[in-house]
Amino acid sequence: MNFQLTDEERMVQDTVRSFAQKELKPIASDIDKNHKIPDSIIKGLAELGLFGVYIPQEYGGAGLSFLSYAITVEEISKVCASTGVLISAHTSLCANPIYEFGTKEQKEKYLIPLASGQKIGCILLTEPEAGSDAANVSTTVKNEGDYYIANGNKIFVTNGGYKDIGILIATHDKSLRHKGIDAFILDLKSEGVELQRNEDKMGIRGTYTSVFALENIKIPKENLLGKEGEGFKIAMDCLDGGRIGIAAQALGIAEGAYEKALEYAKERKQFGKTLSEFQAIQFKLADMAMHIEAAKLLVYESAWIKDNLKNGASYNDLIIKSSMAKAYASETATYVTKEALQIHGGYGYIAEYEIERMYRDAKITEIYEGTNEVQRIVISKQLLK
Amino acid sequence: MNILVCIKQVPDMESKFKISSDGQWYEQSDLTFKINEYDEYAIEEAVRLKEKLGSAEVVALSIGPERTKEAIRKALAIGADKGVHIHDDESHKKDSFQIATIIASYAKDKNFDIIFLGMQSQDRASAQVGPILSELLGYNCITTIVSFEYQDGKVNVKRELEGGIKAKVSAKLPVVLTCQLGLNTVRYPTLPNIMKAKKKELITINVNELLNEQPRVINLKAYIPEKKKGGIILEGKSDEVADKLISILKEKTQVLR
Repeated sequence: MNFQLTDEERMVQDTVRSFAQKELKPIASDIDKNHKIPDSIIKGLAELGLFGVYIPQEYGGAGLSFLSYAITVEEISKVCASTGVLISAHTSLCANPIYEFGTKEQKEKYLIPLASGQKIGCILLTEPEAGSDAANVSTTVKNEGDYYIANGNKIFVTNGGYKDIGILIATHDKSLRHKGIDAFILDLKSEGVELQRNEDKMGIRGTYTSVFALENIKIPKENLLGKEGEGFKIAMDCLDGGRIGIAAQALGIAEGAYEKALEYAKERKQFGKTLSEFQAIQFKLADMAMHIEAAKLLVYESAWIKDNLKNGASYNDLIIKSSMAKAYASETATYVTKEALQIHGGYGYIAEYEIERMYRDAKITEIYEGTNEVQRIVISKQLLK
Repeated sequence: MNILVCIKQVPDMESKFKISSDGQWYEQSDLTFKINEYDEYAIEEAVRLKEKLGSAEVVALSIGPERTKEAIRKALAIGADKGVHIHDDESHKKDSFQIATIIASYAKDKNFDIIFLGMQSQDRASAQVGPILSELLGYNCITTIVSFEYQDGKVNVKRELEGGIKAKVSAKLPVVLTCQLGLNTVRYPTLPNIMKAKKKELITINVNELLNEQPRVINLKAYIPEKKKGGIILEGKSDEVADKLISILKEKTQVLR
């Protein structure tokens, strides 16, 4: 077994960490308060190549490993979970399906601007009546020869507010269930795409979570991703990779909160001793660190498996480990942020100390990209088959 | 134009240092290493010059154990073209004269026009390698530069002197320049460039091929100084305390004159 990062991966970690600590950390509170990631940050992320970490260089990416991508999301999320999910949703849910299923023309037209960060990507999958039950989508598409006509409603679209590029999941025949589902590359500036609102949320308030109404949108036939009927497979594939991205985000949130708690425990004095001299606090720190280490091993191993599928690593192993990583890391994030807030006492409840933001940000990681209940279904299915 | 940048890998200065068992240096294990801060300015300036000229080759050289390659890779990711690793597991025991000799024996037949170095290393801080190197090679030398310009075979630089004074200095090529804080802001290596750096040439030379000199300065002992006692607490009436404070500031600092 080799638990060491490669030279490149360490350099990625170093670069992303410096950028996150110097440029992003000082404004993470403002991002939360203003519900917006500044354009200058998005430009900075793009210049560093963080919007296409593992996409090949010929398609505008950096051509690094999937593990480098996980490390990127982790380091960014340590200081700002909103920016972490901006990268994760963009990469896993939009750039990735075009990279995996797109034609050469589609990659040249859409993947290059996505991977180089000129456009921000999203997926239009969830509907009021279809979340984890993706086979039940009711957004319809009708094949009109040279183009398709789409109609329906989409919610919970992370990054939707940028109105750039989305993967649309829709059905051409609902009675066929998952076999009737198609995936399209959708220009969100097309006529008939209406951004109804960006939701007001508990956490990750710097990201857009958008609601769209789609009315008679004309989608050119060359924007069909894969073949008709392959949409369900494409959506599921997105979520398989996306789980590792969210697991990395959760890991980063936990690490960020733990580092703050550790620092605070060493400084804060009560009854003439620092908090770190009380065993009750020492044990909390030990427990937090244990969970983080375990989560990190699961996240990194899942990413490593994804990097090594061509070298004989097992796809079933990827499915089970990435579900485990997502569920375990997200539960670590909610647990660690809760304990970190407790160590901060009353100050933890005050916005200025930033722990309350991390506590709010952590919760979503147990919910999106498949709730942790769904992850347990995936895991147990693999165990029992 | 041929440009050489000499870099050193040093521990993160926020590390907790322990004295090594021989008592002469610090313990190398359990430390995180990075590029010496001043050397990063040197890399950045060399790459900027190359970008400005359009055609130039930047060679990044470093002496040290296997881990030193990571520092060279970073220099390549920032924009150097070629890496030279001089493998030496005992580089921390070499004095400035030996280090300069190693670099000079590598550089002597390579016709470098400009050699950039950091003005000193953060761990040894002797600030001698640049000047000794220039003597060994017969190059001109300017230390502690804070701005740089190249024109018609000459370098025009600014140096920062004590007391808030700066000096403009000019020298003909070939020249050795040592870089000081304030010269530039070092770019982040981008992810695509990190990947490209993997394909750039990085050669390794054993130190024994380049060095046949004994140290001239020997480190006898490294130690952690006793902790200074806390500050002085002035007590008494407020006007007396104020007078005492003023006299201390006058005598011991330059805040008041």
